[in-house]
Amino acid sequence: MSASTVTKKSAATAGPATAPHSLVAEFASADALVRACEQVRNAGYTRWDAHSPYPVHGIDRAIGIRATRLPVLIFLCGATGTTIGILLQWWTNAVNAGVEFPWVPTFLQGYNFIISGKPYWSFPANIPVIFELTILLSAFGAFFGMLALNGLPQHYNPLLRVDRFRRVTDDRFFISIAMDDPKYGSATRRLLEGAGAAAVEVADDVKESAPPRWFLRAHVILACFLLIPLAVIAYMRVDKQTQPRIHIVQDMDNQERYTAGKQMANPVFADGRSARPKVAGTLAREDFTQDPHYFQGRIGDQWAVGIPMYHPELQKLAGGAAEVNEQLMRRGRDRYAIFCSHCHGLDGAGVGRVATYTTEREIGFVPPKSYVDPDVLVRPVGHLFNTITNGIRTMAPHGDQIPVADRWAIVAYVKALQRAQTATLEDVPTDERSRMTQPK
Amino acid sequence: MASHGHTIDIFSEPRRFDRAGPGALIAALIGVAALAAGFVMKPGGADLRQFMNSYLLAYLFVLSISLGCLFFVLIQHVVAAGWSVVVRRLAEQIAGAMPLLALLVIPIVVFRTELYPWLNPTDEMKHLVEHKRPYLNDTFFIIRIAAYFAVWTLLSRGFLSASLRQDASGDAAITTRLRTLAAPSLILYGVTVSFAAVDFMKALSPMWFSTIFGVYWFAGCVLSGVGFLALVAMWVQGRGQLTRAITKEHYHDLGKLMFAFVVFWTYIAFSQYMLIWYANIPEETRWYLVRQSGDWWKVSLVLLLGHFCIPFVLFISRHPKRSKATLFVFAVWVLLMHWLDLFYLTRPPEAPEPLLAGSAGGIPLHLLDALCIIGVGGLFWAWVASALARHSLVPERDPWLKESLAFENY
Repeated sequence: MSASTVTKKSAATAGPATAPHSLVAEFASADALVRACEQVRNAGYTRWDAHSPYPVHGIDRAIGIRATRLPVLIFLCGATGTTIGILLQWWTNAVNAGVEFPWVPTFLQGYNFIISGKPYWSFPANIPVIFELTILLSAFGAFFGMLALNGLPQHYNPLLRVDRFRRVTDDRFFISIAMDDPKYGSATRRLLEGAGAAAVEVADDVKESAPPRWFLRAHVILACFLLIPLAVIAYMRVDKQTQPRIHIVQDMDNQERYTAGKQMANPVFADGRSARPKVAGTLAREDFTQDPHYFQGRIGDQWAVGIPMYHPELQKLAGGAAEVNEQLMRRGRDRYAIFCSHCHGLDGAGVGRVATYTTEREIGFVPPKSYVDPDVLVRPVGHLFNTITNGIRTMAPHGDQIPVADRWAIVAYVKALQRAQTATLEDVPTDERSRMTQPK
Repeated sequence: MASHGHTIDIFSEPRRFDRAGPGALIAALIGVAALAAGFVMKPGGADLRQFMNSYLLAYLFVLSISLGCLFFVLIQHVVAAGWSVVVRRLAEQIAGAMPLLALLVIPIVVFRTELYPWLNPTDEMKHLVEHKRPYLNDTFFIIRIAAYFAVWTLLSRGFLSASLRQDASGDAAITTRLRTLAAPSLILYGVTVSFAAVDFMKALSPMWFSTIFGVYWFAGCVLSGVGFLALVAMWVQGRGQLTRAITKEHYHDLGKLMFAFVVFWTYIAFSQYMLIWYANIPEETRWYLVRQSGDWWKVSLVLLLGHFCIPFVLFISRHPKRSKATLFVFAVWVLLMHWLDLFYLTRPPEAPEPLLAGSAGGIPLHLLDALCIIGVGGLFWAWVASALARHSLVPERDPWLKESLAFENY
């Protein structure tokens, strides 16, 4: 074998320049390997390793490998996952960031969703996400941590330049000691031979090498291909589409259906009607006449003029108070911002983003009136409530979306908007008036 | 230093009790006496119903252990495990107590009307129970119980006797055949354990629905089975047997299994809870509502902490699993928690309708609970101890024994 090594060294002038990298010792059995490892370990070497075709009992102790730090890494990753899981759900669903942290930019704010009637922050619902993130990050920590701690992936190992070393996957056992080990010296070879090595050889490593030309070219071409999706996206951003977008996930969006416009008989029902009449003995939401003041905004055949603060649901919104107070107003402002402002605008002038856009583009769309329009100003609160519930002109009914008490809170807030924009000096407290009239 | 190739020779190892010793007989006598005293005297003004409640609890606890060990034996064969051979005989013998358990189930069948409300439904239950009648009927119930014990006895005695035959013949083909048989056996095992959980425990609340219930009990079975197996291994070593054969490596693996099933139990328990909590359907939530009202919420809390949080934190590291002393604590702890889990499953009252806050009342621990566990446990231990004394404590000619003896964790 040594002859072939010499041949290789002499031939090295033709190939890339090489330098000695480490010393490789071959052993015939696992027992010999373990005994040799103990000697190398006791000699105080640090940059060395043992190689074997299969796991050898006791090799860890013989090499003196310290316990792996991987569990600590996995634990830290898992704990990070737990923390992210908790914070993510708390921030996105349990925090009303727009109110509690108004300085946070909108795109970073979460949104309070009521899901299945559970509280915004309900731990049983949060556990699965926390659990999954903990497991996911632990698995990442284990997998990538193992790779990193082992220095993998390693595409090239100088030891494999030694022909003899290839039998490490078959029937031979090896110790390699790197030449940059602080203990490395002329005694190293003697140590290995004395420890029962069948052969000791020097593994050379190439000093420097450039990847082959085709390798670079392939990467450049690949990188160009990777730019294609980005280019397509960029083009789509500025291009005007006349066709509807490709509808991949149908979700029953375009199914056949019976509509009034088609004037077709529905074969499913004997009477041919697809819109079914009310089931006998049931009551539609709008027919619910118990407490018409609270549910419909009517007293007798008149619109109610007062907010039904006697109702416990409404009092709950007012923090237990039986009168319109700041808490109820805040609730109203909150709901108004969610359900109304996109059309009516935050100030109720009727120039919300959606209303403006639709007025420009859609024929037949009746833009919302300003709240300070004389017609609207004189409407009693019951009328406003009815409008929210059932809609008016092109405004859709919102009774299905907004709970009754919240609709009343919105009404209260709308009244406040009107008041704020039709205020006179008399509305200002006396001690503050001087500030309004004095010239600056 | 290197342990490679330096495994012990099993034939130089003490691996057989000379005689059964008086322990088994004493345990049997105490067991019979406790059960007889409980049944005849009914202390504390108890009635037959109270006795049967306590008996069911004690019986299920012991049955869980035995079934857990049966699973241990089957799973070791099906995955062709080498490490576990030194403790497998102990598990085989614990699972082998199934004929005794088949005998001990008879009181539950005889006095079933004292336990199971579906046999005598109240007006509130009638409608729903009528729909479940194709399954919940008297004849089918008895057939099912008989079938469970036929299957379990066949499996546990079959695997035990094959293993004992190998002790004599050393025939490696037995191992191969058991490995092949283990897979279909596990299917039978899974089906019977699932349905047994329904019949023994879920049928106590015939109005209730839960499809994961069988898995829940299975998790507790394996947990308590492996915990008990670890304790028996320590007991055997304490009496001078297998002292070098069973090492901390084997205890470490038993500890890992216990830890895994602590987590698995929690996973299943939470899966059951979360779906019911989320859907919030009255016929499902009432089962949990009872267990959260009165003093029962304390039991729920102790289970959450004791069956999961505390063991999870204390035993996640490898070190407490590799020390016999701490593993002993772990094993005793999981057994206690499994008992409490069964208490929590079987004892709370069916929810009255409408359920008033606090109507579930205090925790009905009874002197009979202690008498029954001593009784059933004593008989069980008498069987296991005398069975252990009759044969070698290790499958001494198993072809994988050498690997098990040399086993090392990394």
